[in-house]
Amino acid sequence: MSKLKQDELFRVIEYSSEAAERIGYSNYSYWKSVWHNFLKKKSAVVMAIIFVAVVIFSFVALAIGKYQYSELVSNTKLYFQKPNSEYWFGCDAIGRDYWCQVWYAAQVSIKLALLVAVGEAIVGVVIGCLWGYVRWLDRPLTEIYNIINNVPTIIYMTLVSMIWGPSFSHMAIALIATGWLVMARNVRNIVLMYRDREYNLASRCLGTPVWRVLTKNVFPYLISVVILRLALSIPGTIATETTLSYLGLGLGIDTPSLGLLLRDARLHFLEYSHLLVFPAVIVSTITLTFYLVGNAFSDAADPRNHV
Amino acid sequence: MKKKTTRILAMLLAALMVLSACGGNNDGNTTPGDDSPSNSDTTGGNTQTGTPPAPTNGGDPIDELVVWEVSSNEMETFLMAHSESSRDLDVLANNYSALLEIDNYGHLNPAVAKEWGTEDEGKTWTFKLRDDVTWVDVNGNEMDKTTARDWQTAMEWILNYHKNDSKNVSMLRNLIEGAEEYYELTQEMDPAAAQALTYESPEFANVGIEVPDDYTIIYHCKVNCPYFATLATSAALYPIPAGLAAQKSVEDLIAIDNTTMWYNGPYRMTEYVMNNSKTQTRNESYWDKDCSLFDSVRVVMIEDGNMDDMYWETGEVDQTQLASATSQTILDNPSDPRNELVVSTRLRKYSYQHMFNYAKNKADGTPDTDWNNAIANEAFRKSLYWGLNYYTTWYRGNRLDPMVLENLAYTMKNFVYFSDGTDYTDRVLSYLSEPIPAAGKDETTPRRFDAEKALAYKEQAMKELEGKVNFPVNVDYYVKAGSSLDGALVYKENWEETLGTDYIVFNICEYVNSNTQEVYDPQLQSFTDNGWGADYGDVENFHDQILYGVDGAFYSERYSNINQIDESVNPEVVALWKEYTDMVLEAKQVYDLDERYDAFAKAEAFLLDHALVIPYNYSNYLQMTKINDYTKKYAFYGCQNGMYKNWETSTEAYTAEDYARFIEEYEAGK
Amino acid sequence: MFKYTVKRLLQSLLTVLIVVTVVFLLMRLLPNDNYFTEDQQMKLNIEERTELLRQAGLLDPIPIQLFRYYGQLLRLDFGTSRRIQTGVAVMKIIESKFTVSMRLGLTSMAISLVIGVLLGVLQARRKDRLPDHIVTAYTIFVNSVPHLVSYSLILVFGARVLQLPSMYSTRNVGKSIILPIACLAMGSIAHYALWTRRYMVDESTKDYIKLARIKGMAQKDIMLKHVLKNAFVPLVQYIPASIIMTVGGSLLVERFFSVPGMGTLMTDAINRYDTEVVQTCVMIYAALGIIGVFLGDIAMMIVDPRIKLAGGGETR
Repeated sequence: MSKLKQDELFRVIEYSSEAAERIGYSNYSYWKSVWHNFLKKKSAVVMAIIFVAVVIFSFVALAIGKYQYSELVSNTKLYFQKPNSEYWFGCDAIGRDYWCQVWYAAQVSIKLALLVAVGEAIVGVVIGCLWGYVRWLDRPLTEIYNIINNVPTIIYMTLVSMIWGPSFSHMAIALIATGWLVMARNVRNIVLMYRDREYNLASRCLGTPVWRVLTKNVFPYLISVVILRLALSIPGTIATETTLSYLGLGLGIDTPSLGLLLRDARLHFLEYSHLLVFPAVIVSTITLTFYLVGNAFSDAADPRNHV
Repeated sequence: MKKKTTRILAMLLAALMVLSACGGNNDGNTTPGDDSPSNSDTTGGNTQTGTPPAPTNGGDPIDELVVWEVSSNEMETFLMAHSESSRDLDVLANNYSALLEIDNYGHLNPAVAKEWGTEDEGKTWTFKLRDDVTWVDVNGNEMDKTTARDWQTAMEWILNYHKNDSKNVSMLRNLIEGAEEYYELTQEMDPAAAQALTYESPEFANVGIEVPDDYTIIYHCKVNCPYFATLATSAALYPIPAGLAAQKSVEDLIAIDNTTMWYNGPYRMTEYVMNNSKTQTRNESYWDKDCSLFDSVRVVMIEDGNMDDMYWETGEVDQTQLASATSQTILDNPSDPRNELVVSTRLRKYSYQHMFNYAKNKADGTPDTDWNNAIANEAFRKSLYWGLNYYTTWYRGNRLDPMVLENLAYTMKNFVYFSDGTDYTDRVLSYLSEPIPAAGKDETTPRRFDAEKALAYKEQAMKELEGKVNFPVNVDYYVKAGSSLDGALVYKENWEETLGTDYIVFNICEYVNSNTQEVYDPQLQSFTDNGWGADYGDVENFHDQILYGVDGAFYSERYSNINQIDESVNPEVVALWKEYTDMVLEAKQVYDLDERYDAFAKAEAFLLDHALVIPYNYSNYLQMTKINDYTKKYAFYGCQNGMYKNWETSTEAYTAEDYARFIEEYEAGK
Repeated sequence: MFKYTVKRLLQSLLTVLIVVTVVFLLMRLLPNDNYFTEDQQMKLNIEERTELLRQAGLLDPIPIQLFRYYGQLLRLDFGTSRRIQTGVAVMKIIESKFTVSMRLGLTSMAISLVIGVLLGVLQARRKDRLPDHIVTAYTIFVNSVPHLVSYSLILVFGARVLQLPSMYSTRNVGKSIILPIACLAMGSIAHYALWTRRYMVDESTKDYIKLARIKGMAQKDIMLKHVLKNAFVPLVQYIPASIIMTVGGSLLVERFFSVPGMGTLMTDAINRYDTEVVQTCVMIYAALGIIGVFLGDIAMMIVDPRIKLAGGGETR
């Protein structure tokens, strides 16, 4: 390393008010940064595309299918027909086209999963914030948490569907009613963790209103957690729905779901694998892609990972 | 500190392992030393019981049979008197002996009673008992003799309101002298006082069961009861060991289990693990030394009625009821080696009917006048009578021979016979004013199905009902929420196919949890499918359920609601029901069996001619099996069909050929 | 510590009581028809049924029923079963079921804890290399494919290919327990591997680990003595809770393999309106859950002496 003279190391530049502005102001945008980070993960982008494609295709598939779900009839000649050019996914146990059933059911399941996920997020975040911020609510909410959490969900679900009957809306409500817990607890912990950080205290001392502290300084940390929960909630909802369908506690009779199809197919999938394979592959695609996308998005949304 | 963590982890794991390893084999009510099915003293020579018949298909007889049952049918009690459900009785019939026993033809044979009879057209019945029947405990130790006292104990127990929760009581109250009075007396008593009563109490002396000595029982009936002997196979006339009852309080007797109960039947239940398995081990002290029994029978409980196919493949069970998918695979593939193993079971004892609801309500509780007026119209009913083609439904049930399921009469066939051997239901069919052809038009057409007739009646009905009914009529059919819909969907097609949706619309509705509270009490269903299984061996028992204006007619009260028909609007249908009821009540007063059955056959033909009730189907299923079903007990009443006695089995699965031979031999032996 | 434990115990009792009350009320919302067998439903008319219900005290006003039940609990009387096994004490029924579920749950937990943590360690050590990817793929598969499907695969594969018994049998517990345990362990292995990996990766970026590396400590020693140990602290808190919850039994697994455990008992009892059995089961579940959390806190305190139990009644 060659020795440089003092005045060669530094040199004076002209004062520019423009450049000074630029340093004083960061053009950091949270959502842009999230998006940017997310796009960097190529595998996740691919998964996201697949997920969207499946959702869109479930509509297309019903349109291009040769049979309408509402007009299906049974046919003794077609019991357990293997897939062919007429029946693309084959036929079920009473000879009805399987293609339209599978896609119709896929739509129902996706709808349920998304609805529950959004419901959980809203209820969970609101209650979680209150839980973390309003001190006297801590005790009652903790008690509610214990009550719901200490008994297996399946018992509550069984009771609910036996009391009010299985239907799409009951199922959605019941799932949200038990599912918001974990979300709320996670949110509460984050709120507690960041509420009293020094910079927030400082900010509040400087007169920033609470809502602004919450939305600007705490909320970004929440998003990551919330999205991670959502990513887990969708496979969870679909899995719970299959289990309940298997126990005969699923959706109403005129709403077929992938869970119902899987339940019916489970018994004869050795002989007629197409009955299990198609719904199982679709279920797995939905849950898998959403799980991976959610994970990647949650990483991208974590402000700590932002530059 | 590092060491400590590792140590804690290690200890934790070790503790887990120990915990999980212990627990041993004691999670059921296993009797120590008796859980191996083949006790050395019984396998040696069949000195005590008869040798099982050698199978005729090359296999050996099975010593340790394994059969299955669905978990939801797990038994609830070990006290026979306390159960009315086949889930308990099918099991317990192997552990208790009755006065009489049914054989594989449905005939009554002596059991604990060696002779029986009546001398006054069925008002008093005398049973002479064997004196070599003993009660043993679960380990086979002799506890007591089986005597007439055990039947007295049982009678007192069942009639006592505060002992048996009114279970099994209705038949005794109706038939036995003084039974009703005793029941009401105990009902008014203080529970503790009532529970202290025994068969020796003076209050019980007026009940019509007389025991002149330890081995004679005389029953006194209120009315002439020509069929009383068939009642001896029902749970109400099974014994309760007097010795055991004397030892235990009422609560304890209700709560007995396999380890505390006493046995006088062919098997002792040596192992019982709820929702998993039970083992019946041969009772060496069983009185019938000539019968053939298994060394042990294990009943495994499976969660799903379709899993047994897999267990059959893996050799874990000796019989499988084929799921529709499995039978489809096998029968569609001629090169499948299992092809020749698929056989039908015998018909089950139920005769299924469409029981219409004559006073239907809509969901909001107001009368469904469209349906009520339509069903009160004879042409409407007849259009259904001739116009329902159930081929596809039956095909789902029994692919080999769907038409065997077609039911044309109200009473079960093979149930009773005239003295010349004519089946009762054949006589009924011969009395019909519109005869049913001996065979359908082709292989896929049921005998009763006639589209032309149906459409003619449809037109007539639509004309007659103009202004009274808005067509199409809604038919509400209820299924349990969450159950598979396949059957109901096919059913819907059967209804709408011929008659058309301009005439009827078949709605599949669901109830959540309880059909009684959600459907039958508010009277929401258009019709139900009922299969009556007889309580005793008389046609009367079938007809008693659907009478008009008679107390205790279960079907009329629960399903058809005929007593609530608005007579001012639909007098014709009420008149028909009344006429039918009168015919039945008259027939009940005839005590000569041939004349009695003939009178009933005429009433039944009247019922069917006016399509007041429409016969629907029988049930059986396809199976692969190592058991010859034609050697099993085959009764339409009582609770002995589950007895593992005198069964012919083979370690090699039976083929369709074998079964064809069994049927031939069976028919020859009639 | 003592004061804290007592306070915690009292709080827990309250929670159990509330849980039982909630379920008690929910059960009363169910139609009481299932109190009767199918035959009774047909053969008894409404008056007779009402009379029997009245006798059983099921028609009394709900508050009276509830207080009667509390009184019963005070005497530690859990009642008798009505339709699961008529007249038998509830505790006796649950006892046998509990043993089975416990044996199954604990064995599977022990196995999956060992395998799961080992896999997690392997992943952390070979981060972003093939073993890591394989285990991650497994974790994702288990988390996203519904159990109904994966259990079916295990069942068929185990029974048909490996010739293992697919029915739990008291005669042959060792062998017939393999498939149920495989099903139960499949999920929890993934769970433990995931968390072990995550905590270890978090831990290994910390400064003191960097220092240890610079000191020249062997990679293996760093991993075992520092990283794993510290990563284990957050993990250990959840172990007792999850062990205890598995004791409750997995409904699906029990149904699949005819295991006579708590899960199936629970649903059967609900289906047959056997209120006392349901309530007692729920009480046991709630108590187990609370004990699990408590043990978790204690375990964490033992593993990490820096943590002290505070009397604040904090939630986790």
